[in-house]
Order: sequence, then C-alpha cells, then structure tokens
Amino acid sequence: MDTFLQACINGLMIGGFYSLMGMGQNVIFGVMKIINFCHGEMLMVGMYLAYVFYTYLGIDPYVALPLVALVMFIAGAIFQHTLITPSLGTKSFTNLLFLTVGMGILLTNGAQVLFSSDYRTITTSYSSIILSLGPITVALPRVVSFCVLIAVSIALAFFLKYTRTGKKIRAVSQNPIGAQVVGIDTKKIYMITYGLGAALAGVSGALLTLFYVINPTAGSNFGFRALIVVVVGGLGSISGAFFAGIFLGLLETLVSLFIGPSLRTLVVFATFIVILVIRQNIILRRA
Amino acid sequence: MLEVKNLNAGYGHLQIIRDVNFSVNDGEVIAILGSNGAGKTTTVRAITGMLKPMSGSVNFNGQELCGKSSRAILDAGIIQVPEGRQLFTEMTVYENLELGAFSDAAREKLDESLKFCYKYFPKLEERTSQSAGTLSGGEQQMVAVARALIGLPKLLILDEPSLGLAPNIVDEILTVAHDMAKNNGISVILVEQDVNKALKTADMGYVIENGHVVLSGTSAELQNNEHVKRAYLGI
Repeated sequence: MDTFLQACINGLMIGGFYSLMGMGQNVIFGVMKIINFCHGEMLMVGMYLAYVFYTYLGIDPYVALPLVALVMFIAGAIFQHTLITPSLGTKSFTNLLFLTVGMGILLTNGAQVLFSSDYRTITTSYSSIILSLGPITVALPRVVSFCVLIAVSIALAFFLKYTRTGKKIRAVSQNPIGAQVVGIDTKKIYMITYGLGAALAGVSGALLTLFYVINPTAGSNFGFRALIVVVVGGLGSISGAFFAGIFLGLLETLVSLFIGPSLRTLVVFATFIVILVIRQNIILRRA
Repeated sequence: MLEVKNLNAGYGHLQIIRDVNFSVNDGEVIAILGSNGAGKTTTVRAITGMLKPMSGSVNFNGQELCGKSSRAILDAGIIQVPEGRQLFTEMTVYENLELGAFSDAAREKLDESLKFCYKYFPKLEERTSQSAGTLSGGEQQMVAVARALIGLPKLLILDEPSLGLAPNIVDEILTVAHDMAKNNGISVILVEQDVNKALKTADMGYVIENGHVVLSGTSAELQNNEHVKRAYLGI
C-alpha cells in the first residue's frame, strides 16, 4: 500500500510535466493546426538556460523561471514569425514537418556543441531536503516544482479564458475567417501563441533541472509524451491535456511498480496506440 | 459614401468579377443580387480586403481602400457579417460580441452598443452566457449581425443573411438592416440570392451575372424589369 501511494505521488509529480508540455503543444496546434515536433527540444533548451543562469550567474532555478520564460517566448516568437508563418501559407504539411523536426535536430546538436553531451546536474542547498508524510517521502524540489506547474497551468487557463489576448487566441483557433472579420491580427496571434508554447516548454525544462539530468537529448522523452498527451486529451483541448498528462504520469509509475520499469515505455506507447485506434473508430463512426 | 469603380478580383489566375461598378449613399440600403457563383461574395471579399483585388477603386468617404488590409478597411468603418456567419462557436455569445469591438472607440462604447443590440435582438440578452454553437441558426445570425454592429460600422455588409434561415427570421434581420440605414446612419449593402426579399428592403439594386453588373436601378425598377422577373422572381 505504501509503495502504491508512493508510486501515485511520483506519478503525479512527473505527470505535471507531461500536462504542461501537452498544454503548450495543444495551444500551438489549436491556433495553427500544426504539430510542433521540436517541443521536447525546447524543454531541453529551457534546462540549459536554467543551468547557465545557475552555474554562471548564480541565479536559483526558481528565481530564473521568469527569465527562462521570457527568453523562450522571444525566441519562439521569432522562430514563428521568420520561419513557420511563411510556411503556413504554402499549405504544405511536409514543409512544417521538416521545419519543426529540423529545428529540433538543430537545437539538440547546438546544445551538444555548446555543452558537450556530458550529463549535468544542478545541486542547490535545498536539493537534498526530503519531506515525509508517514511512509511517503518526496524530495522538496519535486513538490515545489509540482506546485509551480499547477500554478502555471491554472494561470494559462485563466489567461486563455479571461484576457483579451487569450480570447483572441481562442477566436483564431475556432474560426480564422471570423477572426479576420473582427480585425484580429492573426500573424501576431501566431507569434504570441508559439512564444507561449516555447515559454511553457522552457519553464518545464527549468523546473526539471532540480532533479533530472541535463543533456542534449533529455527533451525527446518529454516531446514524445507531449504528443501522447495531446492525442489522449484531445487535439486543441487545454483541460484534456492537463488530465491526460496526469494520467500518463500515473500510468508510467504504476506500470513500473506492478509490471517492471523495463516495460514502462512499452506499455505507455502501447496504450497510446490502443487509444489512437479506439478514437479513430469513434470518429469514423460519427462521420 | 462608397464608390466602387472597375473592380476586378479573383483567385490566382482565375478572374471572377470584371469591372464591377456601384455606389452607396448615406442612409441607403443597396442590394447586390445574383445567383450562386455569380461573384457576389467575391465582390464582398474584395471590398473588405479579405481578398486582394486585381485592380479598380474602392473609395470610401474620400479614402481609397482598394488593396488595403482587412484591418485598415475595418478601421475605416466597413464591417461585414460574413457568409456562413463565422462565429466563434465554442465561445459564449458575450465573448463573440466583445470580440466585435476591435477598436478603442468600440471598446469604450461596448456597454452602450450591447444595449443597442439587445434592443433589436432581445433574445440575445437571454443567451449571453450560452456558447454560440448551441444557438439556433437564426439566433446565430443575430449574433453575427450584433457582432458587426458592436464594431461601430459606418457601412454594414450583410453577405447572404437569409442562407438556411426561416422566412420570419430573415424578415426580422432585414427589418433591422433597414432600420440601421434609415434611423441610425449606417448604410447597408445587402448581398442576396433571395431577390424578392432583398428588393423589398433595398433602395437600389445591382444584378451580377458571371462577374459583371448586368442591371442596376431602384428597387421598383428592378421589380418591374422583365429580365429580373423571369430569371429571379419566377413570374
């Protein structure tokens, strides 16, 4: 029972990351109808940004979060405006596929050039503090990171629901023609949306650095899981992504506990395929 | 107030409308008539900047708008209720209307404009927190008209407002359009396939066939025109 609870807590903690990654991916998909194949790599960039801020400037990763978000937002907005937006006009899916996959490869290899492929970690004064609640123990940074993830998720939902820019983002994703009719600058919304997705991935990465190794390929696992979250939670659905992320985290840790860690990834992707098949059939039957 | 001269537009190399001419005076409702595929919506899209015209002139109160961005044309005061309504179906009626206030001036007057719209469409006030996609077709059309009015138009373009709606609702919408022109200083361009209803509302009509304006005149003239009677009124 104790190990089960422990696994649930761990699953919840990691699920929060999958949620935030999926939500970022979903905001981008909702607005531009493209799948961002370098989402995981953007998380990795966030990790290195936090690492640089901590190692060279002595800024605590939690304090550096807004900085990481800002840098990622600007970089994402520039990438969108200079490369993705012009490709959207061509209506060619392969262009965008190559563009985002290529950007992912570029980022991974760029990180390798700058930082080599050595594993790096951040160890803060509070890294080793363990909280215990009865038999369950959790490292303090995990708890704090989880709380931050939840806060960011809620903030994102509020931003989309209540702010003027958030409403414009939803408007463009629901009806691009209607958005043009009411004078919304779609290119600007594209920039903001992609910047937002990049910032969310970057924040996830920065939060991960406190208990996860930093290396140039660290993002790919999260990138793939973000795709699963999007498919399971529903393309374009923010709340769907949130719950799917938590579900995926729990599934992973419970599978490791009951079936074995070596089968974890296998079961996750098998579940993904099963859900994909079921969804496809439901959609086909409806149509 | 609006003077369209020799407007040419199309998609890619395919030209749809050729040398279209018409004008709208203050407080006037004009009807652009024609069957499916005649070029009515292309004309609307060219005037509102959704489609870049090939050549021609769109003069609005002395300002040349041909080739300007759709946003610049909105700012000038030409607002359309697009074909198929193009609402944000998963957002509430209120959010849809709120998004219609694209300029600072419109946002300042939002509450006032909302009251104005609810006066014409009382049903919408009951439905403000309902998502737009759950409304009936007629109510959705009302949201689309209200959303355009909230932007404080000087010229309102209604593209096929009758499409798929019950006759009594079409009458309601057309009555509002007529009232806008006669009592609120908002001129109206009514783009319609339903020639009979459109001519009852409009002061002037222009008939488009194969991308050309083939006939124009006052509503009374067109109603008595043999060609219009035969081709559109089925008399």
